[in-house]
Amino acid sequence: MAASSPSCTLRLLLLISSLGGLVTPGSAFLSDWSRWTSSAPLEPHFTGCVSRDQETFRCWWSPGVFHNLSSPGDLRVFYLKKESVHSEWKECPHYVYSNRECFFDANDTSIWITYCMQLRSQNVTFYNEDDCFTVENIVRPDPPVSLNWTLLNMSPSGVSYDVMVKWKPPPNADVAMGWMRVEYEIQYRETNGTHWEALEMQPHNQQTIFGLLIEKEYEVHIRCRMLGFSKFGEFSDSVFIQVSEVPSRETTYAFTIVVVFGIVGVLVLIMLIVVSQQHRFMMILLPPVPAPKIKGIDSEMLKNGKLDELNLILSGGLSTYAPDFYQDEPWVEFIEVDAEDADTGEKEDHQGSDTQRLLGLPQPASQGFTNTISFPDDDSGRASCYDPDLLEQDTLIPMATLRPGPPEDREASLSDVEAQKSEKKDMALAQTQNAGPQTWVNTDFYAQVSNVMPSGGVVLSPGQQLRSQEGASAMQEETQKKGKDSKAGDETEEKKQKEQQFELLVVDPDGSGYITESNAQQSSTPIISQIPGEGHQTLRPQPVETKPAAAAEDNQSPYIVSDSPFTQFSAPVSDYTVVQEVDTQHSLLLNPPSRQSPPPCLPQHPLKSLPAMPVGYVTPDLLGNLSP
Amino acid sequence: MEHFISKKPHDLGKPVVFLPSAWFAVLTLLYLDLSMRVATAPVCAYGQAGCHVPSLADLFDRVIQQSSRMHGVSSDLHSESDQYFLPNRNLIGKRKCHTYGILTPNDKENAQRLGPEQLIEVILSLLGAWDDPLSQYYRNMSQDQNQDFNHYSSNKAMEISDMVHDLRDGVAKMADKMKLSGVLGNAANYISPESSVPVSAFSFYKRGELNSVDHHDLLFCFHRDSNKIKNYLRILKCTTLPGLDC
Repeated sequence: MAASSPSCTLRLLLLISSLGGLVTPGSAFLSDWSRWTSSAPLEPHFTGCVSRDQETFRCWWSPGVFHNLSSPGDLRVFYLKKESVHSEWKECPHYVYSNRECFFDANDTSIWITYCMQLRSQNVTFYNEDDCFTVENIVRPDPPVSLNWTLLNMSPSGVSYDVMVKWKPPPNADVAMGWMRVEYEIQYRETNGTHWEALEMQPHNQQTIFGLLIEKEYEVHIRCRMLGFSKFGEFSDSVFIQVSEVPSRETTYAFTIVVVFGIVGVLVLIMLIVVSQQHRFMMILLPPVPAPKIKGIDSEMLKNGKLDELNLILSGGLSTYAPDFYQDEPWVEFIEVDAEDADTGEKEDHQGSDTQRLLGLPQPASQGFTNTISFPDDDSGRASCYDPDLLEQDTLIPMATLRPGPPEDREASLSDVEAQKSEKKDMALAQTQNAGPQTWVNTDFYAQVSNVMPSGGVVLSPGQQLRSQEGASAMQEETQKKGKDSKAGDETEEKKQKEQQFELLVVDPDGSGYITESNAQQSSTPIISQIPGEGHQTLRPQPVETKPAAAAEDNQSPYIVSDSPFTQFSAPVSDYTVVQEVDTQHSLLLNPPSRQSPPPCLPQHPLKSLPAMPVGYVTPDLLGNLSP
Repeated sequence: MEHFISKKPHDLGKPVVFLPSAWFAVLTLLYLDLSMRVATAPVCAYGQAGCHVPSLADLFDRVIQQSSRMHGVSSDLHSESDQYFLPNRNLIGKRKCHTYGILTPNDKENAQRLGPEQLIEVILSLLGAWDDPLSQYYRNMSQDQNQDFNHYSSNKAMEISDMVHDLRDGVAKMADKMKLSGVLGNAANYISPESSVPVSAFSFYKRGELNSVDHHDLLFCFHRDSNKIKNYLRILKCTTLPGLDC
């Protein structure tokens, strides 16, 4: 590295510098200027060569410590362009002494060819082999121009925003032709900050800066470099970005919030209204299904046990008594019961035919026994005229098919009548069975089996609380054995047990069964009960007229006594029986053969068909009305 | 009784309801998948039916990208070999590259003066000249156990030799397409590189008595030539298809 120098001092100096490992001047071309720090070489040297557009370049030199060579012209620049083997050193084509610069224009510049630079004074040549380079390696592009920014969008909160920055490539870099390919780097920072934030390098002419904050001023600048190379150009001039608050945004925001809350409030209000008027809406949407009701009879009244009124009504005295029970329910259709009329009420339609079908009887003619009672009764079945018609409402009426069988404990039960028998098994007399099952065609009798006797019998139970059904119990007269004067002793009905354990004991599976009826205790409770499962129906064979005396008794005996006293126990009467026929007076005959006398039908109780519904119940009060 | 009856259909309905919705979901997914599938039809070399033939612009883009990558890898290799060799070595002082025989335009005006045909010719010559030496270099690198940077460099060497090969094929196809589309005159014929390049290019870089090959010079030369190729391709593109990228 020491140049040939005649002067001893120079040689010494050079030796010292070389020994000291000074940075060689030539390395300046290949390394960053910033890294080239201190120890400037002593001899004249080149400080750097740069090309801006890959078409021209320029080199700068410095005389070093040799101040006597600092005047222009003392040092001359020579270069070697290694194009061929016979290349020669040539002098700088264009000097710019003010800068100590040597400028190579496009004619002298060749890319991909090695240039070596040399400084020559009068008689000394300062040459460093490291000062060789190829032009593409020294290219540092100019900074891009026309840097500007536009607001891209604001965050919904109005705190931050995005900015699109655009620029144009440096004019002297022929990007359009493809001679140079550059990539750009944008850096930004807060105006008075210290740390520059650099974005990713990319070759396009625009870039987005995300996440700038309002009310802060930002400074942005850009630089570029050749693609595939490492030397950056200089930074452009800074551009300042600042965005202040946009109040309209906030008002829009607030307005939106107000609208949303308003809508929510309205919705809540509507919900409240709907909930408060729920039942009304339910009525509109889901109208209740009408249940059968009897005109003039209030279910509450029945429950309360006002039998007087009920009897009055039933007797037709107040036919127009309580039409206003159901004033507010216009959909209530009253089921009109008419002996002859078949088109009142839905259920009545086939009354006559049903009856006929059941009994095989000719159409009963209205023999004057028609509605003496203008009681718009329903079609609740009644065993006979004697049965007061008590309404059975929506109860499951178990009915037992009665089997013919000898009454067994008749006598035994007689004695027990007085006792309160909840479980007393009374032998009801099941008589009608004699008629034989052949007439039971198309009949359904339902009874609720409550127990099974060890002896093999089935205990049918109308259910508990026959108390309220007491009146019903009156209806649940046992069937009386026909022919026998065994009538359920109404007197015996005294035993109005509270518990009407009404059990129908069907014992004999093999045909000899009898039906015992325990406990037809009826208390003086309203006739009509709505106890589900209660429906007992006792079809009483009514060969005989009911005993009017029974009416006096309080414990309504469910039995309609005929002339001969007939206790339910003496002559167990089955609760259910098959109606064999209907006589002219519309009484149900359970045992047609024994129809000695047509059972006087109570005028109040026009008989209707039966069995899907329980027979009418009679309360002790009404018993008096029962007259043979 | 009713409630028993009503329960059963309700329970059965649940899985039954799921089935059609599941089918619907499956069908929707299938449809979306098919509709959004990017058409990846194979690139055909000979334009056979059913292939997606890339346009000239696509070819240019691919070729330019490849040349950029090649240049980047060669820069890495060269700068790395610089560390292992004496950093103050004279770069080119006495030696030259084996492609010295290929006349290449060394500035912008000359490059512009050359027509597209000659540019392609130069490019192909350069690529052809480097195909063989680089594969030898790679073989040499993988055999050489001494040096530490072999591991890293041998991978790069393999990469580079493949890239040169691919690029050569790509430029040839592009030239054919240009001929077909009338950009190039049919009279262009390419001088085979053997005439201007020494036969055993690799041995051109042998130095010293032991005939050990100086990889450093080879890498330097290749670095330079890959830059030339990159530039020429870009000029070619912007003169024949001036577009957004230029």
